Amino acid sequence: MVKGWVFSALKYLLLIGLLAVMVFPLVWMFRVSLMSAGGSIDMKQIFNVDFTLTNYRDLFAAHNMGRYLFNSLFVGVTVTVGNILFCFMVAYALARYRYLCNKLLFVSVILVLMIPAHILIIPLYVLMVKSGIYDTYWALILPWLVNPIGIFLVKQYIESIPPSMEEAARLDGAGELRILLRIVMPLCKPALAVLAIQVFFTNWNSFLFPYILTSSDNVRTLPVGLALYQGYQAIDWQHLMAGSAIAVVPILILFIIMQRQIVSGITTGAIKQ
Amino acid sequence: MKRSRSTALVLVLPWLLTLVVFWLFPLVVSFLMGFTDFRLLIKDYHWVGLANYRALFSDSDFLKALKNTFIFVLGTIPVTTVFSLGMALLVNHRFKGRGIFRAAYFLPSITSMVVIALIFTNLYQRGGYVALLSRLVGLQSPENGFLYDSSTALFSIMAMDVWMSVGYYMLIFLAGLKSIPDELYEAARIHGAGAIRQLFSITLPLLKPVMLFILVINSIKSFQVFVEIFVMTKGKFDTSTAVYFIYETGLTTGFKSGYASAAAYILFIIIALFSAMWFLLLRRRQALW
Amino acid sequence: MKRTIFFIATAVLLVGLNVSEATTIRWWQFWTDPSVKPEISEMVAEFEKANPDIKVELTDLTWANGHEKIAIAFASGTGPDVVELGSDWIAEFAANSHLADVSDHISHDSSHFQGWGMATYQGKVYAKPWILGTRVLFANRDLLTQAGYDSNWVPIKISELKVAAFKINNLGKDIYGWGSNTPEKHRLYKKYLPFFWSAGAQIFTDDNKYCILPSEKAIRALELYKELHDSCGYVANQRGIEDAFLDGKVGFIISGDWLLKRVELERRSINLVSTLIPGLDFPGKSFLGGEFLTVNEASAHKRAALKLVDFITSPENQLRFCKANRSANPSSIAIQDDSYFTSNVHLQTFIKQIRSAKHPPVDPDWVYMEDAIERAVEDALFGSGLVAEPLLQARQKIVELKQSK
Repeated sequence: MVKGWVFSALKYLLLIGLLAVMVFPLVWMFRVSLMSAGGSIDMKQIFNVDFTLTNYRDLFAAHNMGRYLFNSLFVGVTVTVGNILFCFMVAYALARYRYLCNKLLFVSVILVLMIPAHILIIPLYVLMVKSGIYDTYWALILPWLVNPIGIFLVKQYIESIPPSMEEAARLDGAGELRILLRIVMPLCKPALAVLAIQVFFTNWNSFLFPYILTSSDNVRTLPVGLALYQGYQAIDWQHLMAGSAIAVVPILILFIIMQRQIVSGITTGAIKQ
Repeated sequence: MKRSRSTALVLVLPWLLTLVVFWLFPLVVSFLMGFTDFRLLIKDYHWVGLANYRALFSDSDFLKALKNTFIFVLGTIPVTTVFSLGMALLVNHRFKGRGIFRAAYFLPSITSMVVIALIFTNLYQRGGYVALLSRLVGLQSPENGFLYDSSTALFSIMAMDVWMSVGYYMLIFLAGLKSIPDELYEAARIHGAGAIRQLFSITLPLLKPVMLFILVINSIKSFQVFVEIFVMTKGKFDTSTAVYFIYETGLTTGFKSGYASAAAYILFIIIALFSAMWFLLLRRRQALW
Repeated sequence: MKRTIFFIATAVLLVGLNVSEATTIRWWQFWTDPSVKPEISEMVAEFEKANPDIKVELTDLTWANGHEKIAIAFASGTGPDVVELGSDWIAEFAANSHLADVSDHISHDSSHFQGWGMATYQGKVYAKPWILGTRVLFANRDLLTQAGYDSNWVPIKISELKVAAFKINNLGKDIYGWGSNTPEKHRLYKKYLPFFWSAGAQIFTDDNKYCILPSEKAIRALELYKELHDSCGYVANQRGIEDAFLDGKVGFIISGDWLLKRVELERRSINLVSTLIPGLDFPGKSFLGGEFLTVNEASAHKRAALKLVDFITSPENQLRFCKANRSANPSSIAIQDDSYFTSNVHLQTFIKQIRSAKHPPVDPDWVYMEDAIERAVEDALFGSGLVAEPLLQARQKIVELKQSK
C-alpha cells in the first residue's frame, strides 16, 4: 500500500519536473518580452510584477513586424490552400486511376520524400536568381505548393473510401469535376484538415529556404525577420523575445484548437510506414 | 476511356510540374554544377571533373564541418530516442492531467527553431540560467558563456536540440505503444514476467517499425542541422556543420556554387548510406524474431 | 480645320504629359535604425519636393546580408540607381564596371570633401563620400580613478594601455580591463588593424606587389592584442561588450560613434572618456571607413541619380543627418568645424582621430582579403599555438587569390 503511494508521488514529481524543464524557456521568453527595454536582464527579475507592452509596440512601429507578420500569413495561407487543392487532385488521380504511369508517379512521390532538402539550396538559389523570381513572393510559394507528404496522406485516405458513391454519380451522368468537388472532397475533410495544419505549421516556422531565397525586408517572413533582428542596434533581448512571442502565439492558439488533428497527422504517417 | 486519360493528366499535373521544375531539374543542375568551377557572380566557368570533390577532402573547413555534423547526429539521436521513449512510457496510462502533460511536452517541437535558438542563446550567455544551474550542481561554466567556448558550444546546441524534439518523438512512440495489444501484456503477467521483462520482450521488439521510422527521420533531419548554427553561433567556436558550410561557401562572399554543390552531394550520399544502415540493422533483426 | 486643332491639341497634351511625367529612381541605403530613418525619409521627401519630376523609391539594407544583396543585384542587372556602399566595397564593384565614373561630376567638390582616397580606383572616382567612420578608444573614468589614475589621464602608448587594463582588471572579479570581440563578420579585424597599423605594419608593400601581412611588426601587434584578450578580456560580441562597458564592468573598449548615441538614447550614467587609439608612438593609427553614395553604371536616370547624391551629401544635409544620428564624421570639411562637433568633447576626439586614420587598400578583392585577415585574428585569439601561424596562412590565401587573377 505504502509502496504504491510513494511510487505515485515519485511519478508525479518526475512529470512535474519534466513539465518545468519543457515549459520554462517559453515562460522565460514571455517574461523577458514584458520587461522594460534598455537594460541588461537580471534573471531574478522573473519574479517581478511590473510589465510593459512597449517592446511589442516598438516592433510594429519601427521594425516592420507588421509586414513580417503579414508575409508569413499571406505565404502560409496561400501555400496551405494550394496544397489542399493540388494534393487532393493528385491523390485522387493516384488512388482512383489505374495506369502504369500512376505507379511510377507514386514511386516518385515516395522517392522525393526521401531526398534531403539541403540538396536544393544551391540549385534553387542559382535558378531563382537567374530567372528573376529570387526575392519575390513566388520564391516563397511556388516550390512548396505541392507537398509529397500531403499527396501520400490524402491518397491513403481516399483509398479507404469505397468508390461506390463516385460510380453512382458517374452513372447518373455527373461530370468528373462535379464528382471531385461535390462528393469526394467533402468526404476527405479529416485528411485535408490534417494536411492543412501540417503544411501551415511547417511553413509558418520555416527558416532555411525563406532566408536564402529572399533578401528584401518587404518579402521577409517572421522567422527570418526575427533571426536578422539580432544585428539591429535598437533591438535588445526584450524586443527580441517580444518578436519571438509574436511568432509563437498563433501556433499556440492553433495548437489548442486543433490539437487532435496535429497529433493525428504526426502519428498516422509514422504508423503507416 | 480517353476522357479519363486527359483528366488524369490534368489531375496529376501539379505534382508533375513540381517534380520536374523544383526537384528533378535542380537535382540534375546541381549534380552537373558539382563538376564545374561555376561561381554565381562570374560569367565564365569551366568543367573541372572531380577537382571539387578532391579539394573538398583536403578542405579543413569542410572536414571540420563534417566532423561536427557527425558529432551532432551521433550525440543527439540516441539521447532523443531514449528520452522520448522514456517519456512515452511514463505517460502511457490514464492519470489525472495526462492531456496537459502530454501537450506541454509536445509544445517545444511545434515552435519555430529560430525562436528556440534565440531563447537558448539568452539562457546560455554568461550569467544566464544555464550558468546558474551548472553552478548549483557544482560544475564550472565557461567564463564567456556556453556559446563562446569551443568545448561547450556544439554540445549546448545539441542539448537544445534534444530538448526541442523529445516531445515530437514521444507522440510517435505513444501511437506505437497504443498499437500493442493488451492481451500480450496480460499473458506475460500471468506467466510471471515483471515490468522490466515485459519491456524488453514485448514492448521494444514490437516497437521496431516505429523505432526505425524515428531513427531514419531524425537522422535525415539531424544531418541537415543549420538554423540553430546560423542563429546562435554562425559556425564559430567549432560549431560549423555541413549545411552551414554549403551555405557559407555557396551563398556568401565568394558564391562558389559549383564547389558547394559538390559538398551538398557528398552530404546527400552520407545521409542515404546512414538511412540505409538503419534499415539493414533493424529489418534483419525483425526476421530473426 | 477642326481636325487640325484636334491634332495640335493632342500633340500639346502629349508633350505636356511627357514633361510632367516623373522619373523614378531607386535608392538602397543602410540607415534603418529608428532614430535616424525618419531623417532619411524626410530628406527624400524634401528632395522630391524640390525636384517634382523625380520620385525616389527607398529600400532598406541590413549589414547582415547587404553586401550579398548588392552583389547579386548588380550581377543580375537589377541594381538600383543609387546605392550606399561601405568604403571597402567600392573597388570591388568599380572593377566589375557596375559603378558610374563620376570623376568629372565631382571635380569642383574635391577640396570640400574628405575621403576621396577610398572612392578612387585606378585613377577614376566612383563614389561620393557621405559619412565617414573611424574607431576610437573609450574608457571608464571611474574605473581608471579606482585603479589609481589621475582624473585627466589617458593612455598615449600601447604599453600604457596594457598596464592600465591590467590594473583595472584586478579591481574585482566582475571587472574586466579590455573589451575583446568574438569573431563577427566585418567587425573583428577592425579591432586588430589599428594595433597593426600603429605598430607600423602594412598589408602590402608600398608598390602593392608583395603581401607582407606576417611581418614582425604585425606579429608583435597581434601578440599584444592577444595579451590583452587573454589576461583581461571581456569576451563577447560587439553588443555584449558595449552592454558590459556601459554597465561599468569594462575598462577600455574600441568602438565607433554609435556608442555615443547609445549613451544618450539609453540615458546611461557612465563617466565616459574618449581618446585617440594609442600607438607605439603617439598618435596611433585608427581604422578609417565610411558610407559612400554611388551611381549604377547601368542606370537609365544618371542625371536624376546624381542630383539625389548631391542633395544627400550637401553640407547642410550632412549636418542635420549627423545631428539625428549623433554621428561624428561628416565628409564635408566645412561642416566638421561646426559648433555641433566642436562643442562636444567626444565628437572632437573622433574628428581628431580621422586625421590619423588609415583605410584598407582599395582593392577589388578586399572582401576576400578581409575574410582571410579575420580568420587569422580569430585563429590567433581563440585557437592554440603561435600567433604567427594564422598570419602566415592568411598571407597564403591572399597570395593565392592574387595569383588566380
